[in-house]
Amino acid sequence: MSEHKTDVPYGTLDLLILKTLDTMGPMHGYRIARRIEQVAENLVRLNQGSIYPALIRLEEQGWIRTQWGVSETKRKVKFYSLTRAGSKQLNVAVANWERATALVARFLEAQS
Amino acid sequence: MTLRFAARRLLALFRKRRLDGELEGEIRAHMEMAELDAIASGLSPEEARREARRGFGGIEPMKEEHRDQRSVRWVENLLRDARYGIAALARDPGFAAVTIGLLALGIGANTAMFSIVDAVLLKPLPFPAPERMVRLWETPSATQHNNTTTLTYLDWKRQSDIFEALSLEESFRAAVAADGDPVRVPGKMVSAEYFQVFGVKAAIGRTFETGEDQQGARPVVVLSHSFWQARFGGDRGVLQRDLALDGEPHRIIGVLPAGTFDRNEARFWKPLIFKPEQLNRRQHWLRVIGRLRPGVSLEQAQAKMTLLRASLNAVIYQKDWGFTVDPFAEMLVGDTLRRSIYLAFGAVLIVLLIACANVANLVLAKGATRRKEMALRAALGAGRGRLIGQLLTEGLVLCVLGGVAGIGMAYLLLHAASPLVAASLPFTADLSVDLRVLGFAAAAVMAVLILTGLLPSFQTSFGKLSGSLNEAARGSSGSRAAVRRTIVIAEVAASVVLICGAALLFKSLAKLQQVDAGVRIDHVITMSTDLPATAYPTAESATTFFKAVVERLRSVPGIEQASVSIGLPLEGVRWGEFLSLPGVKEGLLVRVKMVDPWYFATLDIPVESGRGIEDRDRAGAPPVMVLSQEAARLLSGRFGVANPVGRVVGSYLPGYGPIPESQVNLQIVGVIRNERTSRLQSPLEPVVYVPLAQFPRQDISLVVRTRSEPLGAMSGIREIVRQVDAHLPLGEVRTMEEVKERSMRWAKQPTWVVGAFAGVAALLAALGLYGVVAHAVTQQRREIGIRMALGARPGDVVSSTLRSALSMLLVGLAAGLAGAFALTRALKSLLFEVSALDPVSLALACVVMTLVGILAALIPASRAARVDPTTALRDEG
Repeated sequence: MSEHKTDVPYGTLDLLILKTLDTMGPMHGYRIARRIEQVAENLVRLNQGSIYPALIRLEEQGWIRTQWGVSETKRKVKFYSLTRAGSKQLNVAVANWERATALVARFLEAQS
Repeated sequence: MTLRFAARRLLALFRKRRLDGELEGEIRAHMEMAELDAIASGLSPEEARREARRGFGGIEPMKEEHRDQRSVRWVENLLRDARYGIAALARDPGFAAVTIGLLALGIGANTAMFSIVDAVLLKPLPFPAPERMVRLWETPSATQHNNTTTLTYLDWKRQSDIFEALSLEESFRAAVAADGDPVRVPGKMVSAEYFQVFGVKAAIGRTFETGEDQQGARPVVVLSHSFWQARFGGDRGVLQRDLALDGEPHRIIGVLPAGTFDRNEARFWKPLIFKPEQLNRRQHWLRVIGRLRPGVSLEQAQAKMTLLRASLNAVIYQKDWGFTVDPFAEMLVGDTLRRSIYLAFGAVLIVLLIACANVANLVLAKGATRRKEMALRAALGAGRGRLIGQLLTEGLVLCVLGGVAGIGMAYLLLHAASPLVAASLPFTADLSVDLRVLGFAAAAVMAVLILTGLLPSFQTSFGKLSGSLNEAARGSSGSRAAVRRTIVIAEVAASVVLICGAALLFKSLAKLQQVDAGVRIDHVITMSTDLPATAYPTAESATTFFKAVVERLRSVPGIEQASVSIGLPLEGVRWGEFLSLPGVKEGLLVRVKMVDPWYFATLDIPVESGRGIEDRDRAGAPPVMVLSQEAARLLSGRFGVANPVGRVVGSYLPGYGPIPESQVNLQIVGVIRNERTSRLQSPLEPVVYVPLAQFPRQDISLVVRTRSEPLGAMSGIREIVRQVDAHLPLGEVRTMEEVKERSMRWAKQPTWVVGAFAGVAALLAALGLYGVVAHAVTQQRREIGIRMALGARPGDVVSSTLRSALSMLLVGLAAGLAGAFALTRALKSLLFEVSALDPVSLALACVVMTLVGILAALIPASRAARVDPTTALRDEG
């Protein structure tokens, strides 16, 4: 475990999952976790298990849906995909995130 | 969306096990794939497993969080919203009190009314397999039901392959000694199988056994639970004791369970033992009930009875009469009662709707002040569903509080109303707040929640939220005001429907009260008694008693007139017979009253022609008869008898005690003015009067006319009767006014119930109108201020405010009248000599609603006129 790894920023895991499903299409839990790790290029420390509570939360919000499929190991697993409400929510979340980071960035600039 | 959201949470809660299993599977698949990947990257299987575990993180905490995510959050939300809702209500106690009060009123009245509907119309009878209970009749025509004769009853009894039990029932009253003075207690004479028909067993002891209704059986009696409590103080040793009925001891063999039979009029039951003279097919005197054997359908029973009827054709006198089997339950509830109950329930539902409309209006008005709060919360990230969820939860708090208060109110209402209405309901109806009623109350709460909660929710949170933040609080939103006005219009319309109904019913009642009963109503008191066969075995002993009582009563200074008769005005005449003219085959069916020579004078019934009953018409003298005008009219109409006085007619009249009726020829000696013998709304019946001295009976009534307040004379009357017979109790002591009241009870109760609901509805609608106008005035203070500053006079302001109120009223009136035209038809059968579209009543209803509405609008309008332009403009400028 390298020292410079950070935790996933609070509240952003949902955004990461939505974005992943948006670009990659339907995936099962393990692939989603691996994809996030790969994109983050080991910059974040992700407990892969923590995506499951996030997935059920997103499902109950109606932003993602599940379908049964077969994994590479020939096991029956859930495949998650984005719903229409989910893609809308992704846009909102991205916009919120950009606004927040822009605000913080501007704030930091002004201070320096 | 919010519904789907809530449903998912709810399902998740119930499907915990399945979801846990699914998660377990996902974790296993995840681990396998992670291991495979790790092996592919060159790790040993052992290391790969460790690596997979490490990458996954803590499994148990994750599962815990997974469960939290899918189940707990909505519960938490609900609790938080409920807490918030209660806090919000506590902050605005006025709003809370008014809303909860309105809901309690609506839900309470509905719940109480539903309890009556349920007990009388919906619930199965409180007996085992009630669908097998039947009532048996002889039927002269498809619509008429008649009692049967002893021999026919015994024939029915022989059809025991379809009946598990068959019994007759005959109401009577007996003198029961209580602390010295005897009292008249209602009871029933029944067959031994009576309680098997109901499927009821004794709580103490037993009910009747086979053979106890046969000649020579020992006299026995079964008591109701309440009578046992009242008369014997609940003594368990009562089975060793006797109850003296009319002086004759009866061994107490059982006490019925508490409940249903305590609501029955009868306090005790004894076997009816036929006397030899009663074994005939002439006297239609028996009411018969039965219980079908299991598996025997009503149709099969009816078919059997029809067959039996055909086989008896040789011995039955009434050749065209059939035998009919009816469900017992059907006969308990008459059409009038059923209609009245539905009517009252309909009325109370309208009241509930109006109460809901008012609450929705209040919530909407409150919602206006909360728009900013909602917009703020939305801006902070609360989802629309979340906001609606919050509003619904707040509504739920209101409705649940209103519902609980409503159930309490229903309980109180039932408590207060049941003694008043019990007499109109069948004894099987148990009015109580039971689980079914509570279920109804819960359903009503849910319905109210949907009605009052959803609309304001959508209004509040679906409006443009960002706009709300900028909008000044004083500006009234156009769409919201329109919704509120529509609600008020609907309230006015619904009230108008109710007021129209009430106006029609009251007019009908007034008409009914104006009907001339044909007898004197004031200063007349009536009472009944039965001469026990033991003390009065012969006709002579009875006539001696009649004479003695009347003579002594007439000598009392406070008493003007006194008489003895069979039956009282307005209470129906039990005896019906055919009059036949010599040489004419067809007969005229008339009601027969036995009266003494003073009956007409006591009740102020004038003799129109010929003479009345006189003292000379005694036993032994030629039998005579006096006709009512109606009987005379029918006689002349049907048989062309222009002047009946002097004619001789034949009829069958009963003998004294068990002696059956026999053919008698009577001479018509006079015609008297019509007396109303049954309920005031029914058509006049043809009545004939025969001398009591010639046709004495045991079930007599005393009619006494007094000089002063009639109830004051009662102690004197009792004393006189005691002097003649110390053991004879007087019962059903009623002034003629009470008799008249009782005969109108069927019309009065629904009228007052609908009237009360209409009053409540009008008040609620007025409240709604007031609310909307007051709100508008508050919101338009600035505008009003400007107009007044520009020279408008207070009068202008008042009239413009009233104009808007009037426009709502008028639209509501129009809609209400349309509704009334459609709905008052349902009242038709309850109205007496009033058309269901009576223009006077409908107009009156409109005037009442308009006046109430204007009054409600005047209060805020006058406040508008007092707006001080300078303050109004400075305040919010």
